[in-house]
Amino acid sequence: MTDPQFRYHPAGDLGLREGERLRSVRREPGLTSVVLHHLTGATLAAYLRSYHRLEVRGRENLPTRPPFIVLSNHASHLDAVILAACLRGGARTSCYPLAAGDVFFESTTRTLFASMCMNALPVRRKGVTRHALDDFRARLIAGDAGFVMFPEGQRSRTGELLEFRAGIGRLLAGSNVPAVPCYIEGAFRAFPAGARVPRPAKIVVTVGRPLHFESTVNDREGWQRVAESLRSAVLSLNRTPN
Amino acid sequence: MAVALALLATPVLVAVMVRAKRISPEVRSDILTRWRTWLWLAPAAAGAIVISPLSAMLLAAALGLLCYREFARGTGVFRERTLSAIVVCGVALLLWACVDNWYGLFAALAPLVVATLAGVAALQDRPQGYLQRVALACMGFLLFGVGLMHLAYMANARDYRPALFIVVAGSQVSDIAAFIFGKALGRRHLFPNTSPRKTLAGHLGALLIVAPTTAFLAHWTYLGTALDTPLRLAGFGVALAIAAQVGDLVLGSIKRDLGVKDLSGTLPGHGGFTDRCNSLLLVAPVAFHYIGYFVGFGLERLPRVFSS
Repeated sequence: MTDPQFRYHPAGDLGLREGERLRSVRREPGLTSVVLHHLTGATLAAYLRSYHRLEVRGRENLPTRPPFIVLSNHASHLDAVILAACLRGGARTSCYPLAAGDVFFESTTRTLFASMCMNALPVRRKGVTRHALDDFRARLIAGDAGFVMFPEGQRSRTGELLEFRAGIGRLLAGSNVPAVPCYIEGAFRAFPAGARVPRPAKIVVTVGRPLHFESTVNDREGWQRVAESLRSAVLSLNRTPN
Repeated sequence: MAVALALLATPVLVAVMVRAKRISPEVRSDILTRWRTWLWLAPAAAGAIVISPLSAMLLAAALGLLCYREFARGTGVFRERTLSAIVVCGVALLLWACVDNWYGLFAALAPLVVATLAGVAALQDRPQGYLQRVALACMGFLLFGVGLMHLAYMANARDYRPALFIVVAGSQVSDIAAFIFGKALGRRHLFPNTSPRKTLAGHLGALLIVAPTTAFLAHWTYLGTALDTPLRLAGFGVALAIAAQVGDLVLGSIKRDLGVKDLSGTLPGHGGFTDRCNSLLLVAPVAFHYIGYFVGFGLERLPRVFSS
């Protein structure tokens, strides 16, 4: 998959040393990363389909090209893999899961796997700077990236949906980037926080209709409204009574 | 041996020049950062050349791909995955042609890969930006793939080690000599728009060091061959010295056009592999065809060892 229009413009991460590049939110994947990303994606998708009998409801609501944000509840390390596996074509190539910097980008091995195989970008959970969020928003508005993210900011230890952080609103308020709410059911049973080996539980992903926040004012109040609206949308996709 | 001596002598020379107040502490720090990178880069390159022809060929292919990667990321052509994949396949085929001592394939790959790039890009049905992306991919392949793979083909010669040493060391010494002469004596800038730090003294110093040194080394390497006449050896030295400096200016033009200082930060003090190989880009094909015209490469080896 290539950009529809050629851009005679350097990579956003040009000039950084290799280690810094892999940990940079401006990273743009090259040929090697794209090949590794697709191979890993195909392997993990086969694993999810065979071991967890992955089922996707409402697939027609998924984006086919960037920009987009696909978000869901977060109760397992499998969640990012599951959402990425649901995407197809240009959306998969341009999809960057936002992963916890303190978990996936500390050691060299994890950094290599997260960046090269999963195409993940790091988010510093403690003290997320305005600068980092502005970088993410700029990439969305430029139209060459789609993010898979979990606005709760951490995995739920009980399986119940936590409050959404306002950062998601900062990315979306006042922009025409579609946000696709999803609900992942079964990942908490399959691989909750603290588990070492995934159990063969069935996983069902329900994809909701895309939401737009063009008319939402891009201020603190607007961000909170976006977060609440998305949380309600995700919650409404949960068909299991809590 | 000469490389090891140069590496050992550098900190001493720098200390002497600092004491004589010929260079500032900033320049000293700059030189020492480059020197630290040389400490592992030079043994790695020399080792690959010395071990076997195959390791020398693999080194050239790796350099070609690394340089293309930096060029592609600098120009944006890396976003064209299909074209970049064709370039990578082209370099792999060039490597095969070198390993197989198949000059016919080696010579044919340049037009064939260019034709493939132009054709495949047309099949994408995206006429907007067609010229730019195809031209950039072709330039990347020809400059970094074909250009540097001439080094790999040189490894087919029986006496490839001194030949490669002359080419690689000659181009690197050109950079170092231009830097040192420029810092010590440089006043007038010859190409201020393309390479603002390069001075006339640097260019002349590099020419005066590289041309006689490479001619002298070529004399001992090709003793008694058709190349071994004073005029031809002098022509070889001057051609190599000029190609090294023009290669430097080629990369300077690319970087100025892109508005970037370095195409990568992989090699501290140097920038990226492209910055380190800039002089080699033109030296490799110039030296290959100059030596090839008078002496030939791989003539004593059976051609098409694997594919016939």
